[in-house]
Amino acid sequence: MKRFGALPAYVRWPIYAFVAVFVLTVSQNLDGTDRLTSVTTAQSMLRWAVPILLAGLGGLYSERAGVVNIGLEGMMIVGTWMGAWGALKFGPWWGIVAALVGGALGGLLHAVATVSFGVDHIISGVAINILAPGLTRFLSSIVEIPGWSITQSPRVPGVGSATLPILAGGKIGGWTSPDLLGWIGRKDWFLVSDLADLAKGLVTRAPWVTIGALVFVPFTVWLLWRTRFGLRLRICGEYPAAGEVQGINVYKYKYIAVIISGALAGLGGAFIAGPELSGIYLEGQTQGRGFVGLAALIFGNWKPGGVMGASLLFGYPFGIGLRDLDGSASHALILVSAVGLGLVALSAFRRGRKADAGLALSLGALSVVWYLLSDSVESVWINIFPYVIVLLVLVFFAQRLRMPAADGEIYRRGEA
Amino acid sequence: MAAAIELIGITKRFPGVVANDSVNLVVEEGEIHAICGENGAGKSTLMKILYGMIQPDEGVMRVEGQEVRFASPLDAIAAGIGMVHQHFMLADQLTVLENVILGAEPTRSGGRIDFDSAEQEFRRVAEAYGLVVDPDDLVEELEVGERQRVEIIKVLFRGARILILDEPTAVLVPHEVEELFRNMRELKEEGSTLLFIDHKLDEVLAIADTITVLRDGKTVATVKPEEVTAHDLAELMVGSDLPTPEAGESTVRDEIALEVADLTVQDEDEREVVHSVSFQVHKGEVLGIAGVEGNGQAELIEALIGITPAASGRISMDGTDITNLSVRARRELGLGYIPQDRHREGLLLPSPLWENAALGHQTKPPYAKGIWIDRKGARERTEEIVAEFDVRTPGVDTPAHALSGGNQQKLIVGREMVAEPSVLIAGHPTRGIDVGAQAAVWDDIREARRAGMATLLVSADLDELIGLSDRIVVMLRGRLVATLDPKSVTPRELGAHMTGANGGADA
Repeated sequence: MKRFGALPAYVRWPIYAFVAVFVLTVSQNLDGTDRLTSVTTAQSMLRWAVPILLAGLGGLYSERAGVVNIGLEGMMIVGTWMGAWGALKFGPWWGIVAALVGGALGGLLHAVATVSFGVDHIISGVAINILAPGLTRFLSSIVEIPGWSITQSPRVPGVGSATLPILAGGKIGGWTSPDLLGWIGRKDWFLVSDLADLAKGLVTRAPWVTIGALVFVPFTVWLLWRTRFGLRLRICGEYPAAGEVQGINVYKYKYIAVIISGALAGLGGAFIAGPELSGIYLEGQTQGRGFVGLAALIFGNWKPGGVMGASLLFGYPFGIGLRDLDGSASHALILVSAVGLGLVALSAFRRGRKADAGLALSLGALSVVWYLLSDSVESVWINIFPYVIVLLVLVFFAQRLRMPAADGEIYRRGEA
Repeated sequence: MAAAIELIGITKRFPGVVANDSVNLVVEEGEIHAICGENGAGKSTLMKILYGMIQPDEGVMRVEGQEVRFASPLDAIAAGIGMVHQHFMLADQLTVLENVILGAEPTRSGGRIDFDSAEQEFRRVAEAYGLVVDPDDLVEELEVGERQRVEIIKVLFRGARILILDEPTAVLVPHEVEELFRNMRELKEEGSTLLFIDHKLDEVLAIADTITVLRDGKTVATVKPEEVTAHDLAELMVGSDLPTPEAGESTVRDEIALEVADLTVQDEDEREVVHSVSFQVHKGEVLGIAGVEGNGQAELIEALIGITPAASGRISMDGTDITNLSVRARRELGLGYIPQDRHREGLLLPSPLWENAALGHQTKPPYAKGIWIDRKGARERTEEIVAEFDVRTPGVDTPAHALSGGNQQKLIVGREMVAEPSVLIAGHPTRGIDVGAQAAVWDDIREARRAGMATLLVSADLDELIGLSDRIVVMLRGRLVATLDPKSVTPRELGAHMTGANGGADA
């Protein structure tokens, strides 16, 4: 038999997903809740995952071209403001455009600093992250829209959503198609119904931005790996001097990549401020999702599919926390984490990484103790929990990943 | 018929030096033309001018009779010139095919790369010239010789008729050199013109149709290989006789300075890269370690110096067990270290020479007084090093990056030698430096050896290994597979042991 790791990605990922859902189902049955695999949970997960995914894809373009973009958070903040402003001033679709432009301008600033002037990528990114909230507050103070205060906007209109026909009961023309997944979900078959519910959540009333973001994943694979543009962009992240001696304008590709990066982060911002997530612009509402996007980029090993998987993984605990007023779903999630840590420990042990295995095992044991000694999770922990999971994932998985070879290096024309 | 390349009076000045001083060169079509000269003779500058990477201040260039002026490598490529760089311009994580087509991608509508026709063209070029590489492999999986073939295919893919090869044999082991020469003859038969840089005289005599010698930026002679001997060429290159690494009288003493027993080293992924290696180095002895790069020599050195912990086994120096000591403790006990990559591990390039001289000795006088750095003492000691080891520098406050490679290396060697180590670990001590600096480094090691220093010498230069070592062991796939006597072994035999061509298990 072939080793599992040698199987192609399109075989491995569904297996991972299946195992994950299995663990969730078992855990919630043990805990007596149904929220871990409900339709609303899947929707919450997706709502949280999309901004992370957009930021992560933004990071992907930038870092594949060799520019570390830690300024994604700042570009996302600009996106939230611009998205809300554009939507209120000119209409929902213009909000999207304004957010893309706002983020792109942030990207342009980062490109000018890092590519043309050779500023350290981290320093430039941090500067943008500091600049962005100041800029949006200033803009809020001069904007003339009724109901717009210094820290928040009135309700923001959105661009709407779509439901997939046949599988989830979406409409084709005037005809309401059957709701296949919903039907299976209501049957309460072990595991099968859980899978159906999660799937239905993903395709029911999916906002257009979400659909766009998901479509962008395969598009990115095609663009970066099948086109001339993509190959040239990637050489800038791997070995820019090799590109330059073949007459490739390294600066141009880096600029384009960082600007795309900013635009995607800005779009993520529009999603957060729009009715897709909040329905109102609120100062500080990005809550570090730009950084979580970077974490997803790393965990996703700088690959579009990986970034998407990581975004869903990170979006899940955030989504659970969102509606978990009594802390019972988060309580079940502790058990899931314990199982996850156990699996990590097992795999680390098999690869002979004893330190990792020990750490995972003791953290897993602590989770079990916590789970057994409590009935629910206090609200402060509900908010912290997702970030802890992001941290743990990076601690255990970021060691074997590989970033583009020249990522973060300052490239000067004529170095070849 | 016009010459493939004709250079008349090419001059290039850099601040403070004349790299090329009215160089004249004629390369006939369809010949293999070698450019010889010491490091710093202006060979690389000349090649860069030919490939459009830098522009000459004066002079005329003609390619196939047409006068040309290259603003960038693109112009050179368009004129049919291709360059195989000494440091391969290949991205490790891209496939061979992606690397080859980069910048000259066949595309369909929408900027889609036409991978099918790219691969067809790749195979056509590769087969026409007998170059075997799999286009779908990642470059990082390839061996050095294969990477070089990728570079050659890359150049041919762009339709180059004139190929410039910059020190193509520097990174190859003997059997790979033969393979390269076969490829070069094949290219010549197919009508290509080859211009290559080399300073290994036997190789030049074996392959070239014409040889041009550069010295101090000037062309001193153009000769045919049948008319000259290696000795003549050497004299042309240096203006006097060529120094060779000669160990001289044996100075090996009975006391063991460095003893390694059953040493196993693992890499980051916990794979064993050094398998249970044992050897001893006596006082006054130079033990040479031969091997194709990547067979565990680098990891062995790192374990000896203490950068990588030993997974198992024992290392002792002058009878003291140092297996579990830190790098600093080992250094303070008298372990000298010439790192294999002087830029990454040997120097702080932006820092002044005196700080660099203190590196590794920063805890001891004259570089330190108690917990403080002794600037005055460090400067004085650095001045001694500069004088004694002939480091050509404006002063000890000059940043290290301002020095040439040879002078940087002399500083490192001097830094270690003045500390009078009892054991010296030397990784490729003369890599990439010119003949003069090379001779100086050899002299320094020989002198210290006479004083009783034990040396572990890892080198890819087989002449250096044979000339300097008292004993040579061969490392293959993390094991010591053979012990050879440098007095009787030839580079060819050594090369065969290094690649395991003779079974590799007669140790």
